[in-house]
Amino acid sequence: MGVVTTEQVKPRRLPGVEGIWVFIGADSVIFAILFLSFMQDRLKNPALFEASRHTLNMNLGGLDTVILLTSSWSVALAVQAMKRDQIDREPRLLLGGAVTGLMFVVSKSFEYFQKFSHGLNPGTNAFYMWYFTLTGIHLVHVVVGTSLLTYLWVRSLRGTYDHLHRAVPESVASYWHLVDLLWVVLFPLLYLMRAV
Amino acid sequence: MAIHAEPPTVTPARGLAPYPTDYRSWKILAWTGPVFLFAVFCLWGILADNMPPFPASATPVEVKEHFQEMRPRLLIALSICLTMTAFYMSFCVATARVMERIEGPGGILSKLEMMGGTITCAPVMTTMSIWLTAAHEVNNLSPEIMHMLYWFGWFTFDLAYFVTSFQIAAISIVFMRDKREKKLVPNAVSWWGWITFASFFVVSAIPFVTTGPLAFHGVISFWIAFFTWFIWIPALSYYIIKAIPRLQAEDAAAGRLND
Amino acid sequence: MSVLRERVTWVWLGLVVLTCVTTWGLSKDLFSPTVAVVGIFLIAAVKVRYVMLDFQELRYAPIPVRAAFEVWPWAVAGIILGFWFAAPAIM
Repeated sequence: MGVVTTEQVKPRRLPGVEGIWVFIGADSVIFAILFLSFMQDRLKNPALFEASRHTLNMNLGGLDTVILLTSSWSVALAVQAMKRDQIDREPRLLLGGAVTGLMFVVSKSFEYFQKFSHGLNPGTNAFYMWYFTLTGIHLVHVVVGTSLLTYLWVRSLRGTYDHLHRAVPESVASYWHLVDLLWVVLFPLLYLMRAV
Repeated sequence: MAIHAEPPTVTPARGLAPYPTDYRSWKILAWTGPVFLFAVFCLWGILADNMPPFPASATPVEVKEHFQEMRPRLLIALSICLTMTAFYMSFCVATARVMERIEGPGGILSKLEMMGGTITCAPVMTTMSIWLTAAHEVNNLSPEIMHMLYWFGWFTFDLAYFVTSFQIAAISIVFMRDKREKKLVPNAVSWWGWITFASFFVVSAIPFVTTGPLAFHGVISFWIAFFTWFIWIPALSYYIIKAIPRLQAEDAAAGRLND
Repeated sequence: MSVLRERVTWVWLGLVVLTCVTTWGLSKDLFSPTVAVVGIFLIAAVKVRYVMLDFQELRYAPIPVRAAFEVWPWAVAGIILGFWFAAPAIM
């Protein structure tokens, strides 16, 4: 007779389909290379980078961080609901994730528009090249993620996902959290990192 | 309810070769992939000194001087690379045949792969020819023409990426659909294919910048875009080469070997 | 099921608080650049770690995978801070 313990012994697993973690890992390494490259370029002209950094809107950037963190939270709760077969909770949580993703896109678009109207674009100087490139590539990730979350929301309305059918939403969620954590680094890197 | 006659064999027709297969030639063609990769790496990468390439920000005079300095090396590296690019085409044919064993004979994605891979050879060969000509003729040409030829090569080489994207997408889709318990090509390689696919798009920025990460010699357009592919191809080649004896064994087990 | 009792909710709350600390606290001039920048990036690494462990559920992932991912925030913070310290002071 086995001993019954109150502690759950769950086998270790990666959420979603295994292959998504190859993608997440590769994307993380690629961004780390980009961060390194940014810092290398900054080393050549810290004064230029510092002066350009001052034109960025720190408050908006901080707000964007909170938006993405909230989005991740909503999606994480959605996955939890799936594990517990709480099918009617799923749609609003997934929609929450998609809507906050959309809010980020709108915020970023507004920020870019402001920059362009001040005559600042990727060609202006090395800092702006990096700012637009890094946030731009990240924004593409956000758009893709928001689209996927919207797709999940639609399917969840039909009760597609439960504890036995959650590989796709878990994969999307894992990807979405990557998008979130990349911004957690990007924001201080571009907006907050003061020079001495 | 059967509405047509039972097939003559019990094994599913789609999974086996419907025609006699020359496994040896197939395997040789699969090996041309790594041979091509090795040649390009050594010749274009090392001998022609393209890791990283001479910068996009170089002036016409700097480009001419670079080609003059490198002339003998370039004549050797680029001429051989041009000819050996055909090995990529042969590799793609071998790959298409492996894909057909999952998709079914005449499958559209294996056709797309073969076309995508073969057509990839065109911009590569053309680029090698452009730079070879530039190197050959450098002492007769003005710096402006040299600069133009240098950029002509890079635009041709880089911006035709989408034929390769189609090839990669077709490969990843088919191999992810493989129903074998141990897939012929593991999912990790297919997912890396998607990373490679995604990494190509940013290269479209090269006409607009000469410095920074998006320039054709920069961190993103060169190091990341090229090396995702440079990692994908050997990984894929390894499994394509290994797949052929596996498929031969499957054919043998089903009594379908053409002895 | 009360959302407030979920672990992910507490993690979210913590992350938001840390975001406010870095965005509207440490970035202010009353902290020296060194304190601010080191603090901001150490906090960023901690935030990334919690997103990985509790949102991406790496806490329950196979150990080698979890270990590999856990290295990332510290490696990134280390690289960034390393280059930051190497940069000359601007006049």
